[in-house]
Amino acid sequence: MLEVRFHGRGGAGVKTAAQLLGKAAFLSGFQTQDFSLYGAERRGAPVVSFTRIDKKKILERGYITKPDVVVILDDSLDFDRMLKGTDKMTLILVNTNRSHKLGLDKKENYICTDATTIALDIIGRPIPNTVMLGVLVKKLKGKIPFKNLEEAIEKKMKRYSEKIIEANKRAAKVGYGSIHG
Amino acid sequence: MKKIMDGNEAGAWAAKLANVQVIPNFPVTPQTELIETLAKWKVDGKFKGDFLDVESEHSVMSAAVASEATGVRTFTASSSQGLLLMHEVFYIASGMRLPIVMINVSRGLSAPITLWSDHNDILDQRDTGWMMFFTENNQEVIDLTLQAFKIAENHKVLLPCFVNLDGFILSYTREPVKIPTQKAVDKFLPKYKPVTYLDPKKPMNLGIPVMEGYMKFRLQQEAAMENALGLIKKTFKEWEKKFGRKYDVIERFMMDDAVIALVSVGAMTSTAKAAVLEARKKGIKVGLVKIVVYRPFPFKELEDALNDVVGIGVCDQNIAPGYGGIIYHDVRSLMYGYKRTINNYILGLGGKSVPKEKYVEIIEDLLESTTKVEGDKVMYIFD
Repeated sequence: MLEVRFHGRGGAGVKTAAQLLGKAAFLSGFQTQDFSLYGAERRGAPVVSFTRIDKKKILERGYITKPDVVVILDDSLDFDRMLKGTDKMTLILVNTNRSHKLGLDKKENYICTDATTIALDIIGRPIPNTVMLGVLVKKLKGKIPFKNLEEAIEKKMKRYSEKIIEANKRAAKVGYGSIHG
Repeated sequence: MKKIMDGNEAGAWAAKLANVQVIPNFPVTPQTELIETLAKWKVDGKFKGDFLDVESEHSVMSAAVASEATGVRTFTASSSQGLLLMHEVFYIASGMRLPIVMINVSRGLSAPITLWSDHNDILDQRDTGWMMFFTENNQEVIDLTLQAFKIAENHKVLLPCFVNLDGFILSYTREPVKIPTQKAVDKFLPKYKPVTYLDPKKPMNLGIPVMEGYMKFRLQQEAAMENALGLIKKTFKEWEKKFGRKYDVIERFMMDDAVIALVSVGAMTSTAKAAVLEARKKGIKVGLVKIVVYRPFPFKELEDALNDVVGIGVCDQNIAPGYGGIIYHDVRSLMYGYKRTINNYILGLGGKSVPKEKYVEIIEDLLESTTKVEGDKVMYIFD
């Protein structure tokens, strides 16, 4: 089973990220489970969301305590809390433009991406989730074909304009292309 | 059709597929996206039932009673404090023998506030004369709600029914769900045929003062519950034949050679099952019994399932302060005379997360208890 935990703030697409990954994995033939934990909804408050992906039926529910991947959408949150249950084997993807300052650039299991800047460029809004999903899907080395992430974005965002959907797909593509698999 | 959806959407699908005719509802907190989804479908022309927005949950249940009494299939949903506000009227619904089906999205009660799952809200309705089904996953939400209508509306039953789905852990969790076709559901659950109904052309009173006759009415409800148990099993079999998914009043998981067993209800049962598999890798012969139907209480089935094990660990996601876990005491009185070790593990209150590893510790603790003589114990699974 692959267990992914997303951290960020309300409004940054934390919940949507887990849903998109779940949907993309579902379209790739996996059993999936995604959910989010938050209090009374408000923008800016810490939100955590989860995606479980497996070939067989998923039994575990609730908070992912030992994630395989942690995706940090906001580098201003408490790292100790976000990194709980991780070790050197955990893949940690961070949306940041200050990886050097945070001392993350030398750590082998970290991938830092300035997803907010990319999102502002392409989508026009500081919502980094689809960029980071592009990075993550690349790291999963073909388990989830990129086209399934695109399809998940199309389906999940169908209430938005064609322009927004296309921008998010492009943002994901930039994330996908930003690293070597 | 297979689709990923959360528990709220699964509940909405069940109501839509059941062709419910009226949905009285209170659309404000603690209402959930379940009703919101149905309302959106209504606006989009995908759902034909009528909405009745009223000013409180107490009025919702009152409107549901009135609606069902006119002979139309009535559905509603609520959660936590909202469910509690309906409490008084639940007795009226069951006393009038109105087969309303409602989904409760289980959440912890105030004060203090939590938004996460907890069974004290639904178990507070334990004695209201409603049938009570617990779901473990979103597939069960659709399947058991559809079956609930068929069972409730049977003329030998005519009792309202709760279908409980756990807040967040199901209501906001998206997982793959098979949606039965409308055609197949229509065949399984035809249009509701009431025995009698309110009609201005044939005036009639319902729920009138009976004084001397009161006890007779109550005993009829008790008899209806007894009928329900048999009918539930029959309906589950019919469902299995038509839709290929098996249900029973209790579910036995890895019980064939089990020496000890957990008893669980609701969505956290999934994690407990994962822990059972993990503990079995360590050589512990543990099984799990899930209570699916809590009212009517499946005495015989539960006793049959548990009488072969030496230790029973009842997992309660509820607490009756000063008394302990509610389901623990059900199991203890059921197993009176068997001289088993029966421990109570109170966990997940207000949605407190219980990871698989914690359930494995519970299993190990239960096994250890069976080798000691000090008797049963209550444990609070905290950190």
